[in-house]
Amino acid sequence: MKCKTLHKKLIFFLENDLPAREGEEIREHLNECPECKAFAEYMQQTLSVLQKEKSPEVNPFFYTRLKARMERQVSRRELTATEKIRIKILQPAFFTLLLLAGIYTGIKIGGAAQTEVRYNTFPENEMFSYLNEMQSEPLETFLME
Amino acid sequence: MSEAEIINGLQQGDEKIFRKLVDTYRQMVVNTCFGLLHNIEDAEDVAQDVFIEVFRSAENFRGDSKISTWIYRIAVNRSLNFIRDNKRRRWFQSFENAVSTKQAWLNNLRSQNGDNADFDLENSERSAILHKAIDSLPENQKTAFTLNKYEDLTYKEISEVMELSVASVESLIHRAKKNLQKKLYYCYKKKCI
Repeated sequence: MKCKTLHKKLIFFLENDLPAREGEEIREHLNECPECKAFAEYMQQTLSVLQKEKSPEVNPFFYTRLKARMERQVSRRELTATEKIRIKILQPAFFTLLLLAGIYTGIKIGGAAQTEVRYNTFPENEMFSYLNEMQSEPLETFLME
Repeated sequence: MSEAEIINGLQQGDEKIFRKLVDTYRQMVVNTCFGLLHNIEDAEDVAQDVFIEVFRSAENFRGDSKISTWIYRIAVNRSLNFIRDNKRRRWFQSFENAVSTKQAWLNNLRSQNGDNADFDLENSERSAILHKAIDSLPENQKTAFTLNKYEDLTYKEISEVMELSVASVESLIHRAKKNLQKKLYYCYKKKCI
C-alpha cells in the first residue's frame, strides 16, 4: 500500500469503518512506515478530542435562567405593545399639533407686520435704450485690418 | 409519562411538565448545540432559546415524529442560525480585536506552571484545530457529523432529524470524514501543532 492511499483511508481505519482485509493492509503499512505512523498518531489524538468533549457539564441553574429569560421576554413583549401605541398614535398626533401651531403662529406674525409700498417702479423694471454695437464698430472694419 | 401527555401538558402551559421536559432533554440539547458551536456559554444560550421555542410552538407539534427528534431539529436550526448571525457580526469586528483576544487566551494558558499547563495547551490547540476543521465543513455535513459523533445518533435517527434518506446521511458523513482528514493532513504537514 502506498502512503497516499493510506492518507485517504486513515480516518475510516481509525473509526473502524473499513473491511477487515483493508484494515490489515493499513496496519501492516503503519508498522513499516514511521512517517505514516506519526500521522496516524496525530489523527488519533486529534479525533480523541471528540470523545473528551462529549457531554459538557451543564450549568446547574439552567432551568432558573431559562425561566428568568422567558419572563423577561414576556415583559419585553408587553413593553413593545405600549411602544407601538406610542409610535402609531401619540407621535403623529404630537407632530400634527406642532404643525398646526406653526401655521397659526405664521398667520399671526404675517398679519401683524404691514408694509407700505411707496414706489411702483423698481430698478430691475427700468428700460435702457438699445445699443447697437455694429454701428460703432462694424464687422467689415475688423476684417479689413 | 407518555409523549402525548407531555405534549398535552405543554400545550396547556403546565410548568411542571415543562420542567420535566427541560430536565430530560437539557443535556442532549446543550450537547448538540456545543457540537456545532464549540463554546459552552453560547451552547447554553442557544439551548435556552430551543426550550423557549419548544414551549411556545408545542401547540403546532402534530406528533408525526418523536419529541426528541423534534427537539433535535430545533436545536440544529437554532445553532446554525446562531453561527450565521455570528459570522455577520464577526465581519464587522476588527481583526486586531480577534487576534488580541486569542493571544490573551494563549498567554493565560502559558502562564500556568508545570507539565499540566503544557498538556492543557496542547489539548486546547488540538481541540481548536479540530473545531476549525469541523467548522469549515458544509452545513449539512457538519450537522450529520456532529449528531453522529457528539450524540451517537444512528444514521436512521439522523435521517429523521435532517429529513433526508439514510443513504444521503451515510454519504454526508463519509464526505465529512474525507474532508476532515484532508484538512487535518494539511495542518499536520504545516506543523499546526
